[in-house]
Amino acid sequence: MQRRTFVQALAGAGLLGSLPLSAARALAATAGAVSVEDLPALKGELTLYLGRGEGGLYENVLQAIQKRNPDFTLNIRRGVTAALANTIVAEAKAGVRRADVFWAVDSGAIGLVNGEGLARPLPADLTGQLKEGFRYDNWSPVTGRIRTLPFNSDKLSADKIPDSVMALPDSGLSIGWAPAYASFQSFITAMRLLEGEKATGEWLKAMNKRGKNYAGELGVVMAVERGEVDVGFANHYYTLRLKAGKPDAAVDLAFTNNDAGCLVNASGILALSEGELPVNFIRYLLTREVQSYLASEAYEIPLVDGVAPPEGLPALSTVSPPKMDLTRLADLRPTLDLMRRVGVL
Amino acid sequence: MTRLPGSYPLALLIALFALVPVGVLVSLASDTAQLFDAHNLKVLGNTLALMGLTVLGSVLIGVPLALLTAYVYLPWRRLWLILFAAPLAMPSYIGAFTLYAAFGPGGEINNLTGLPTPAFYGLPGAALVMTLYTYPFVLLTTRASLLSLDASLVNAARTLGMSLGMSLWRVVLPRVFNGIAAGALLAALYTLSDFGTPAIMRLDTFTRVIYVEYNAFGLSQAAMLSLQLLVIVGLVLFLESRVKATRERPGRRLMLWPSRWQVNALLAAALPVSLLSIVLPLAIFGLWLVREGTAGFQFSYAWNSTYASFLAAVVAVVLAVPVAHAAISGKAGRIMERVTYFGFGVPGIVMGTALVYVGLKLPFLYQTLGLLVLAYVLRFLPLAVGSVRSSAESLDPSLVKAARLLGASPKEAFTRITLPLTLRGMIAGAALVFLEAMRELPATLLLGPTGFETLATYLWRVYEAGYFGRAAVPGLLLVLMSGLGLALMLTGERRGEFDVTEDSNR
Repeated sequence: MQRRTFVQALAGAGLLGSLPLSAARALAATAGAVSVEDLPALKGELTLYLGRGEGGLYENVLQAIQKRNPDFTLNIRRGVTAALANTIVAEAKAGVRRADVFWAVDSGAIGLVNGEGLARPLPADLTGQLKEGFRYDNWSPVTGRIRTLPFNSDKLSADKIPDSVMALPDSGLSIGWAPAYASFQSFITAMRLLEGEKATGEWLKAMNKRGKNYAGELGVVMAVERGEVDVGFANHYYTLRLKAGKPDAAVDLAFTNNDAGCLVNASGILALSEGELPVNFIRYLLTREVQSYLASEAYEIPLVDGVAPPEGLPALSTVSPPKMDLTRLADLRPTLDLMRRVGVL
Repeated sequence: MTRLPGSYPLALLIALFALVPVGVLVSLASDTAQLFDAHNLKVLGNTLALMGLTVLGSVLIGVPLALLTAYVYLPWRRLWLILFAAPLAMPSYIGAFTLYAAFGPGGEINNLTGLPTPAFYGLPGAALVMTLYTYPFVLLTTRASLLSLDASLVNAARTLGMSLGMSLWRVVLPRVFNGIAAGALLAALYTLSDFGTPAIMRLDTFTRVIYVEYNAFGLSQAAMLSLQLLVIVGLVLFLESRVKATRERPGRRLMLWPSRWQVNALLAAALPVSLLSIVLPLAIFGLWLVREGTAGFQFSYAWNSTYASFLAAVVAVVLAVPVAHAAISGKAGRIMERVTYFGFGVPGIVMGTALVYVGLKLPFLYQTLGLLVLAYVLRFLPLAVGSVRSSAESLDPSLVKAARLLGASPKEAFTRITLPLTLRGMIAGAALVFLEAMRELPATLLLGPTGFETLATYLWRVYEAGYFGRAAVPGLLLVLMSGLGLALMLTGERRGEFDVTEDSNR
């Protein structure tokens, strides 16, 4: 059954946790990506605020980095991405700083912290490793993800799903979503910026009548597979991971066309304190080994030049994401107010 | 002019301290624009509906089981009593977690047997879980009242021709009404403050919505919702204070001797409750343990839980002594004691929200173990106070006077008379605080130091990440620790409603 096989697949992947930094696991290496072998050893203590979301896979990466650097202590505070971003801002206002590095599953939260002027500039050779269009001065994307519509393939076929996300309320389909989830909130922010406040509010209201709430987007995909709902909103990798554990899972991916429904977003990281250590720590996440591990095990899209994308995802050229500067997704507050006003949050 | 009892200043200080979270919430909520909107109304409706259904369910299960364990002669009577009271030792979110994982299409039962089972979520799911884990409150308080009744009234009714069922209904039940009400109010209070169950069952109650608001750092909105929740909590606490135990002249206890098939039928009727509340979670965790092993679990989680809870238990008992003393000394002290009781009604999520703000104002406390322990103490102090007070009340003051008369110094009288005689109460109180702090989830999530993972927060993390199998070890450990705590509490507290030892001499 899907939950068991899925969990088993993840647990199996977890066993590789100690390995991802060995050069043996690295996929095709090209000019862009640096190997961990070429990085300086980390020394000292660092506090990381880690936005939740990726199950144990980020943990595996972090454990491997610690294992590789015995003189390095990493304190991790886990929490909801938006909450941690807000906490960092509130801490700065109160004059306390606890976090040295912030790794968010969503670039909106990164933009929020950056917008308060809390992020430290990153060196050009670090950001230069990233793909064109993903280079920023004060933060670094780690991996990409696409908004998708996972649907139950026993009940539906892809052509039954409208290719505009705005048309979904009139489709008669039942929907699973996770409004409290950071990625979902970024998606609504994108919609608000693309379609306007009024249209987004009406869309949310209309959707709320057919929407069923889940705690996270993993829950959404599992519910779609169980047939609890026809369609869901979730980042692409949940579906790919579920299908990796259970190839005959009754779930497939649909994409909308050039709107917020197929937004390409990124997880990102920024340094809050000065010095070499936070920057070097960030370098580790952009290595060939970590990037290809996250691509092959977590099905995330590597953003460093020259690392192969995950299997099972249609070629990015066939998807038409909207044009959007990711840092604009930081404009989260009006989104939360809107969602609250229409009774979704 | 009589001299004020020496414990008053200290007790007053502690009582004022207990009010700090409420003050913080009021100041936080004062800059929110929205006092109440349509969504709040829905949340209020959900919360009250859950509370109502839980109270109804816990009475429907608790009262018959109280009758069964108090009046019916059963083989292995104490075993049944312990079994029926056992859900008390289990945090309800564990029940919600396992029930959620076991049932529904693709759940563990469907998975193992191929039988389709309905999924549990929303109001019915949450109400079922809350009922399963709160009925022991009703069971224990009702049973205590039943045991205090004299059987001769029932016998008289029977002699006058009333059937057994009728005489239980018309003669016994009205006299245990207060006992039932006391248990029902405890169940209501528990339901209001629980966070994990509504969150897992996806029901928007106050606690869950406060968590969502907090995570969006809508602190003022979270504070406003918290205050609204506190109004309901205050109402329940008020009602609870009005319920007085019935006192009757003691007499022979009613005892029914059913035939063998009747016994079997009664137990069979009670079995589903224990199956769902105890056997199912243990079976699911056992299954996961076999399947997944102990992957991902670190011993430090158990140690962190134990360590923080132990600190909280010690501090709570130390603070409880002056409050309990003040409560016995006079009317003003009684009011101070009542004020500290408010903390128990403040849900963990509310306490956490308030103390995060306190921490940001006092950075040396922020994200420290100290602040977390403080939250535990503020929440669970009343448990220690109640326990210490009841053992101190039973102390005969003439014993101390006699010791002094015989030449003992005040210090010696304290160490040789007062302390040994109240120690049981203090230990029971500490055990109770330890037990509750160990299971506490939302305040620990918000206040814990960076990297400080407890059994409860780890359980929550694996739930959110979908790694259900990894919940086995922390879940089983939590149940084990809770069971031990409960056993310690039952042996420590000889008096009171949680007494199960009296029928050893049947």
